[in-house]
Amino acid sequence: MSARNTLKAKWLWYSVFCLACWAPFTFCAKLGLREMSASGMQFLFTLGGVPVALAVLAARRFKFERNRKGTAYGLAVGVLSAIGTLALFAAYRTGGNTAVITTATSLYPMVTVVLAVGLLRERLTLIQIVGLVFASVAFVLFSL
Amino acid sequence: MHLPPWYLYAAIVLIAWGVVGIFQKLATNHISAGSTLVLLIVGFLLFEPLVYPGSVLFHYSARALAYGLIGGFLNNLGAWALFAAMESGGKASIVAPFTALYPLVVVLLAPLILHESVTLPQAIGVGCSLVAVVLLSM
Repeated sequence: MSARNTLKAKWLWYSVFCLACWAPFTFCAKLGLREMSASGMQFLFTLGGVPVALAVLAARRFKFERNRKGTAYGLAVGVLSAIGTLALFAAYRTGGNTAVITTATSLYPMVTVVLAVGLLRERLTLIQIVGLVFASVAFVLFSL
Repeated sequence: MHLPPWYLYAAIVLIAWGVVGIFQKLATNHISAGSTLVLLIVGFLLFEPLVYPGSVLFHYSARALAYGLIGGFLNNLGAWALFAAMESGGKASIVAPFTALYPLVVVLLAPLILHESVTLPQAIGVGCSLVAVVLLSM
């Protein structure tokens, strides 16, 4: 795909929009946590997400697939994400460096990659192995 | 070795969000990305009674309340945009590492907005993390 075509692609702009949402989220969380507890932030954070869920449902005319397995896995996604987010807020609340905590916690694909090998029988690619080495070096440096 | 106080919390984030990656794959084998996003927020709502901070909520400043609500809105809007990017033909092998670069924006803006500085080992660690996150999500 040429650069010009890529610039016209919808997915690129959705991806840029995603970045433009997640970076300010971090600053909102950190600034809010100067006053609030991690649980207070989590409470408000969740309420802030409700309009997005309603908009997605409205766009789908409130149709929802009835699939037990899919629903159970989807709920697991929500519950685990919530636990992770609460821990992230607690980490910010310790007063540690925001850039360091944000980059360290963004390394979660390393756990997914390792689990995918064990649970989904996927194979590690050479690129992923190099990625795991970089992640390990980062964690050692953060502990210094 | 003395670990920084945020280290344990970061480990919980890594494990919880790392396992999410597996369930996300399994969920979208059965239901659409849109339904998964709705269930994601339902999962958060299940915790609301547990994290309700009590009457102190009404004593937070308007600014702090706004940061919390806007933060939640932006994070979930970003998740929706990620799903939309994948559904509109973006290859997961490109979209995932690209969006995983959001910490880079935070690293660049944190000194300006939060007036925080990093030590040299931390800066090298941040660099290694950014390389790792791109490689791991490819």
